[in-house]
Amino acid sequence: MLNRLTQLSFIIGVFFTIVAIILLTGFFVSTLLSSFLNLYAGIAFLIFGLIMMLIKPANK
Amino acid sequence: MKLHFADYLIIVVYFAFVITVGFVIKRKIKSSNDFLSSSRSIPLWITSLAFISANLGAQEVLGMVASGAKYGIMTVHFYWVGAIFAMVFLAVFMMPFYYGSKARSVPEYLFMRFDEKTRALNAVSFAVMTVFSSGISLFALAKLLEVILHWDFDVSIWLAAGIVMIYTFLGGLTSAVYNEVLQFFLIVLGLSPLVVVALHDAGGWNTIKANLEPQLTHAWKYMGKADNNPMGINFMSLIFGLGFVMSFGYWCTDFLVVQRAMIARNMKDAQRTPVIAAIPKMLMPLIVVLPGVVAIALMQPALQSKGYSIPTNASGQLDYTMTLPSLIAHYYPSGLLGVGITALIASFMSGMAGNVTAFNSVFTYDIYQSYFVKHKSDKHYLWVGKFITVAGILISIATAYVAKSFNNINDFLQLVFSFVNGPLFATFLLGMFWKRTTGHGAFWGLLAGTVAAALTHGFTIAEGKGGWIAPVFEIKSGMGQAFIVASISWIANFTMTIIVSLFTKPKPEASLKGLVYSLTVKPTYKEEKWYKRVAPLGLLLVIITIILNLIFF
Repeated sequence: MLNRLTQLSFIIGVFFTIVAIILLTGFFVSTLLSSFLNLYAGIAFLIFGLIMMLIKPANK
Repeated sequence: MKLHFADYLIIVVYFAFVITVGFVIKRKIKSSNDFLSSSRSIPLWITSLAFISANLGAQEVLGMVASGAKYGIMTVHFYWVGAIFAMVFLAVFMMPFYYGSKARSVPEYLFMRFDEKTRALNAVSFAVMTVFSSGISLFALAKLLEVILHWDFDVSIWLAAGIVMIYTFLGGLTSAVYNEVLQFFLIVLGLSPLVVVALHDAGGWNTIKANLEPQLTHAWKYMGKADNNPMGINFMSLIFGLGFVMSFGYWCTDFLVVQRAMIARNMKDAQRTPVIAAIPKMLMPLIVVLPGVVAIALMQPALQSKGYSIPTNASGQLDYTMTLPSLIAHYYPSGLLGVGITALIASFMSGMAGNVTAFNSVFTYDIYQSYFVKHKSDKHYLWVGKFITVAGILISIATAYVAKSFNNINDFLQLVFSFVNGPLFATFLLGMFWKRTTGHGAFWGLLAGTVAAALTHGFTIAEGKGGWIAPVFEIKSGMGQAFIVASISWIANFTMTIIVSLFTKPKPEASLKGLVYSLTVKPTYKEEKWYKRVAPLGLLLVIITIILNLIFF
């Protein structure tokens, strides 16, 4: 896990996944965040975040 | 604009991540080379994104949106006339010398190619410029947060500077570069929804074109005469001033960006870095120019029902710098608003960290180690680098308070760059491609260029700026003035360098191997597929850029 934390793609992936969770949770539980913009952006960030987390950089 | 819990949460998460990156990278920092130049160990995709992200500071994000609203689609010239060609030139022709010479900084290359005094002149002027730019970024951030969120100006300055200080102090250049990549994605992904929503609300590009003056939606059509376009310059001034002098001066010689390519793992990656970076750079106008054009379109009579307007300043004029924040406030709901604000904060912090890390490298290697304390242990220089990081940020803070008196950040920064970078490219061009160029020629050429820049600024006035000697010539826009100042300073440097070089003794050819084009064995990558080779890829990008210019002619 510590090794993965030194991989930038993983860090970026975790960041966008957390932001996506905030947006999506807010969309479903708060009227203040119930705009579809949050839903669409949240889904897009989640997909991007998961892809970045799964990427394993090639060792050179 | 009012932020809610979710918005603040996203900002806090971002702050936590950038600081965490600093702590993670700290474990890798063992030497001054690790801290100041990442020991040339950074993968290609990171150096490439950091290369453009280092330029993705306040000037780029707020300034280019402001210019998009003020000058229209002509702002794309900064990308499709300036950046792309210069980045390809850097990759194909200049990186072999920067990387191959094993110089740790651009001033150090000048020392190897010319002499000590040329290095000193460049190192000191660069150090001043980077700290100044860093201060501008900081000021712009604090002003923005004060205006849109009513945060205290002083608290914003110290909070942002403090966070940048933590992660650059802990992880040095690597930490700054890693965060620049995170900031790149945040800025691009955080602002993309805004472009889509605003463009859709304005009725699409055809509606925008129908509602705006044609000068604002054509990149070249009205460049025949300076009076016919909002930038107040003709196509020759643009191509020479921006396209050649300023852009090549910035992208090919500014250590802030070149440093990102110099930390690549090998020569091949160092050359590829600017070319790979040019791909997203080419598309960047979608994120940073288009919103400005949409904003000004939304203020036209036919679209006033949309309820958007660019804020005005105290004198009742449009405050273009506030275009992007006002668009975010208008279109983003709570939640995404936090992402947008975080993206803005990231752009400022990215610009500041980039400047500070370039500043500490140049100061430590080219000023402190070269002139003050030589032959000390590596640990000594590591700690000097860390101390200078803190000092650089403190100077930036002081500069931020000085910068309060200037309005359009972009125009102002372009002016500063034109003083320092305008003449510099002539020195590198002659130094790399004419072996007869001497150290004396380079030094006096640089001085002549800088003096010419100051004199030109002193005799021209634009939007109330300049003309401090005598306002003899009036130029329509500050941007146009910056192009002319840069052009004249470049010509002065180029001419003076040649004249002095012809009358002074050049270095022996043996000492110029690896530093001058005609005396260096060029790297070839014939075994690689065409799309992995720098020259074909660069040529392809140039062709696409020309096509883009034709589409928006």
